[in-house]
Amino acid sequence: MIVASKRERAAYYLYVIPAFLCFGIFIFWPTVQSFYLSLCKYSMSSINKDPKFVGLYYYKNLFGSSQFWQVMKNTGVFTFFSVPFSLVLGLLMAIMVYSKLVKYKTFYKVALYIPYVSSMVAVASVFKILFNANLSNSVVNQLFMKIGLPKVDWLGDPQWAMFVIILVSMWKGLGYIMIIYLGGLCGISDDIYEAADLDAVTPWKRLTKITAPLLKPTTFFLLATETIGSFQVFTPVNIITNGGDPFGSTSTLITFLYDQGFEGGHMGKASAISVIIFVILSILTVIQKRMTDED
Amino acid sequence: MNKLENKNNVSYKRSMQLKSLGMNILLILITVIMLTPLLWMLATALSPNTMIPPAKLLPEKFTLQNFGDAWFFPGKIGLNPDLTMGTFLMNSLIVTICITIGGIICDSLAAYVLAFKEFPGKNLLIFLALATLMIPSYVTLVPQYIIIAKLKWLNSYQAQIVPFLASGMGITLFRSHFLSVSKELVESAKIDGASDFRIYSTIVMPIAKPIIATMTILKAMWSWNMYMWPLIVCKKVEMMPLQVSIGFFQGQNVTQWGLLCAGMTISMLPLLIVFLLCQKFFVGGIQAGAVKG
Repeated sequence: MIVASKRERAAYYLYVIPAFLCFGIFIFWPTVQSFYLSLCKYSMSSINKDPKFVGLYYYKNLFGSSQFWQVMKNTGVFTFFSVPFSLVLGLLMAIMVYSKLVKYKTFYKVALYIPYVSSMVAVASVFKILFNANLSNSVVNQLFMKIGLPKVDWLGDPQWAMFVIILVSMWKGLGYIMIIYLGGLCGISDDIYEAADLDAVTPWKRLTKITAPLLKPTTFFLLATETIGSFQVFTPVNIITNGGDPFGSTSTLITFLYDQGFEGGHMGKASAISVIIFVILSILTVIQKRMTDED
Repeated sequence: MNKLENKNNVSYKRSMQLKSLGMNILLILITVIMLTPLLWMLATALSPNTMIPPAKLLPEKFTLQNFGDAWFFPGKIGLNPDLTMGTFLMNSLIVTICITIGGIICDSLAAYVLAFKEFPGKNLLIFLALATLMIPSYVTLVPQYIIIAKLKWLNSYQAQIVPFLASGMGITLFRSHFLSVSKELVESAKIDGASDFRIYSTIVMPIAKPIIATMTILKAMWSWNMYMWPLIVCKKVEMMPLQVSIGFFQGQNVTQWGLLCAGMTISMLPLLIVFLLCQKFFVGGIQAGAVKG
């Protein structure tokens, strides 16, 4: 080991300064600031005035407002439906692509992964046109009428609007989940399946008794990251339902934060929302750690 | 006996072939369903404009008119006659390239000393780099905006680039890769009198090519598709990146479906081309990012 001179050691700090200055100014200081601002009245239009301390006013305000609970419920519903369905479908896709019976694996991997690489803005815009309620003849309704189904007011009906948001998010994320599961499947030894083949195990049992249990770590990982990601859904809601239409039925925590802070200019209230998001996500992260450690 | 076995074998083979055929058909179906929204977008972009969006996956008449119309559309809505899609494409390219290259430099420089050198505060810095992964970006949104506003950076490239120049994941990935490179290699170069910067740029970075590829892809994909932050800091149309401009025009109640779809196709194409060219790195990169991040 060569002992570095004092001057050399001082130079080491030059290497870390760009990155950590960036972290300091744009991550750590804002995090601390978020907590402080959540206790203040502070308006976007008078950003150079000092924030006025109001204590827990915004937290009380939020927890007492039905809008906040509506947003929490919407975010919960979105997560509750999108995450499990994506995981199951992603796993099935991965198993099929991984199967020895399938040729041209790379083709499927690439093709199924394309939605994940596409921009959510464009993809959400496409779904908006496909399901648009303002057009009596949205693409999906045209198809529905052709096969004799009744027209649906996709984006005007609260439940269907949420369905479209969930659908586009799942559609975009499936390729990623499949790729992660494929990584997990590569880790399972072929011997296990060969032994199962000798015992003539049914495909269903193969899936539920062998594959799924062995993929538990991958599933935990995806469950946690997808849940955390779902709590932060913004773009599809912003594009497809203009941030929460109809009647706030699709607004989520982040669109609420965006509306309050950047449309309404209530920086203090928006900070309080972001602190609440932080607490929720931290709890989810701790649960994830517990679950993976137990494994 | 022999005959029976043979027969069994043939029927086994046949059943496997059938299974294989079924599986492939099913997968092709799934793939087509998964790609339908994008194929529809492309087909609509290539069809002449209609009043109601066409429910077809193949254009009846083929035209490139929409792409030209979409390209010049931003200049025609009365904001700034010089605007084209090219403006937004350029903005997105500048932001993406700066974040990707700048980010890789910042991350790898920090990772270099954090991997090979001993100095006071090193462990704290490693901890802090990991801690950034635990802080969701939305938590810092409001104060970040205030900082940018106070720096008078609203509607600028800096606002879209500087906050993302370093990433905890990049530092972590680079550092673990550097640690797997033999420490002796670095120290023997040191004995030969090479300066630290030289070791970093001529020995360590060339060995880290796989991580550079991974990080390039992750950062490029992320910054090209970034939406909420530029939406907040870019209110001036001239500074908008592609994604924000698509959201913007989509919100103008445009009913020229072909034009809209052509615009969206343009906004996706650059990244899709990069993806198709380097899909190997993409898949590996996503898996690496998932394990560490």
